[in-house]
Amino acid sequence: MHSQDPLLDIQNLSTFFHTEENIVRSVRNVDLKIYPGETIALVGESGCGKSVTALSAMRLVPMPPGNFENGRILFKGKDLLQASEQEMQKIRGNEIGMIFQEPMTSLNPIFTIGDQIIEAICLHQDKSHEEARKLALKVLKKVAMPSPETRIDQYPHELSGGMKQRVMIAMSIVCKPSLLIADEPTTALDVTIQAQILDLLDELKKETQMSILLITHNLGIVAQYADRVAVMYSGKIVELASVENIFASPSHPYTKGLLNSLPKDTISETLETIPGAVPHPAFLPKGCAFHPRCAEKMSECEQEIPGLQPLENHAEHQTACWLYNKTPAL
Amino acid sequence: MKKVLQVQSLKKYFPIYGGLLSRETSQVKAVDDVSFDINEGEILGLVGESGCGKTTVGRMTLRLLEPTSGKVLFEGVDLLSLKGKELAMIRPKMQIIFQDPYSSLNPRFTVERIIGEALSVHGLAQGSELRKKVETLMEKVGLSRMYLKRFPHEFSGGQRQRIGIARALALNPKYIVCDEPVSALDVSIQAQIINLLQSLQKEDNLSLMFISHDLNVVKHLSQRTAVMYLGKIVELAPTELLNRKAAHPYTQALLSSKPSLDPTDRKRPIPLQGDVPSPLNPPSGCHFHPRCPKVVDRCKTEIPRQIELEAGHTVNCHLYDD
Repeated sequence: MHSQDPLLDIQNLSTFFHTEENIVRSVRNVDLKIYPGETIALVGESGCGKSVTALSAMRLVPMPPGNFENGRILFKGKDLLQASEQEMQKIRGNEIGMIFQEPMTSLNPIFTIGDQIIEAICLHQDKSHEEARKLALKVLKKVAMPSPETRIDQYPHELSGGMKQRVMIAMSIVCKPSLLIADEPTTALDVTIQAQILDLLDELKKETQMSILLITHNLGIVAQYADRVAVMYSGKIVELASVENIFASPSHPYTKGLLNSLPKDTISETLETIPGAVPHPAFLPKGCAFHPRCAEKMSECEQEIPGLQPLENHAEHQTACWLYNKTPAL
Repeated sequence: MKKVLQVQSLKKYFPIYGGLLSRETSQVKAVDDVSFDINEGEILGLVGESGCGKTTVGRMTLRLLEPTSGKVLFEGVDLLSLKGKELAMIRPKMQIIFQDPYSSLNPRFTVERIIGEALSVHGLAQGSELRKKVETLMEKVGLSRMYLKRFPHEFSGGQRQRIGIARALALNPKYIVCDEPVSALDVSIQAQIINLLQSLQKEDNLSLMFISHDLNVVKHLSQRTAVMYLGKIVELAPTELLNRKAAHPYTQALLSSKPSLDPTDRKRPIPLQGDVPSPLNPPSGCHFHPRCPKVVDRCKTEIPRQIELEAGHTVNCHLYDD
């Protein structure tokens, strides 16, 4: 077990969106603890609620239509859902950094990258413009930006995708956050650049002891960079375990299906598939949301939602499936 | 083996206009001297990073883009010399499946019209016969015939890609360019579409060019793989051989940056410095030399020629040229 207190403790969080026609249940009763210095990967297909979970932790969910139905998000013991907007502004970008999926659209095109990093510094630290510029240059060097002295005065359109993502990382780590949320940080980048960026994040993590919440749908990235993995499906965490256990002995049928559907190194004739498609979050089936696609479906799966429970003899390996436990969700 | 497609020193230079009178100031060498062929019933994988010219090659083999120079032979016929009616006659034999299932289907057409349009344009079927053919095609790609009258927005990404596939199959083509057909889809849906493409390819003995940046998918599907970098094919080999004995430093780097699915095997990839250079101003000599871990003096000045390492395995690299 972890000896330290969790840095971020998401308890029973539900984030719904109330649209004119219906209620979109994006995040449903999610529990997740992030400990200091670990990388936890949040995996799932598009629309499963990964990004909304992260945006909830930053309180960046647009309200309305979004609404926190229930739950708490404790960051260093303080409930972020109860914090004022002013308090949140002190935390965002300072104690919790965030990197978005698209470096192309996340930077302001009319300011130089230096200005944008300096703004982040001056908002949170009592520094003169001169000092802030020095720090910006230092952090650009740290993220291995080529020729940082010239780049600092350039505009986003003069940089390549990989360089823009380095700027995003520089901005998010310049105030030394204790938690970094990286939402698909390399999805828009090429494979050779992807490896550079992820290695950089890994090094920074080791150096500063920050925690990383890594949101991705790429299981290869999960295997290479995560310490623990949370698999999400239709707004719920269906399996939570160490990265070794997820890949060596997955328990939830969805996790198994995801891993089996990847092309393997051994050449096989056909790939295994999960039949059907992800349900719309406004029209979720009764019971376990995965049951219409599940090969091991039982009668109780159609009735009640299973709770996330530890497996027998594996306190650290939790799964939400009627095959393994008999406790319904709250 | 019969060759369906032969491509010989294909080039595509896009002009760049600038200055006061918008004169042509320079050129982007999107595809620069590319040669390969595709056998009957074969899947050729084409991999490379964004901007390397994969899509441009694919479109030129269908003559959706006019090459600057070079030759494309389709079943022995010089595609670039055809005009008007002759070209229209050969078009049904070659089709394309696009990357983005959201923007490649006309939102105002029903599924029936999308799939059946090519059949009616070529005058191959009409009325109840057309509907029957469309229904057969829908079943072939795993769509219920109940969806005939629906519009694209009513479908998920995977289903839309199935519509795109049915449209490509409508005219019984011999050769299909698949331009990243699964990269916009989720993992569990990806596998469904890959299996579908594979079974259709076997059923009709189709020849496919499979363009992708996902090395795992290409490895699973294709018999041979070509690797492109900045407008040139740098290595071409049978897929199994390429994965086992990659010769070009770029191919080696690509393969090693592919994250392994084994969390206990956390090897660090071969470090590739820097970014892909702009094709507007490519480096001299071998285009890869500024990023290459094995660069020698010669790479900076001399463009490497194609060397055959063993039967069917070619590489463009000075390391193998003595």
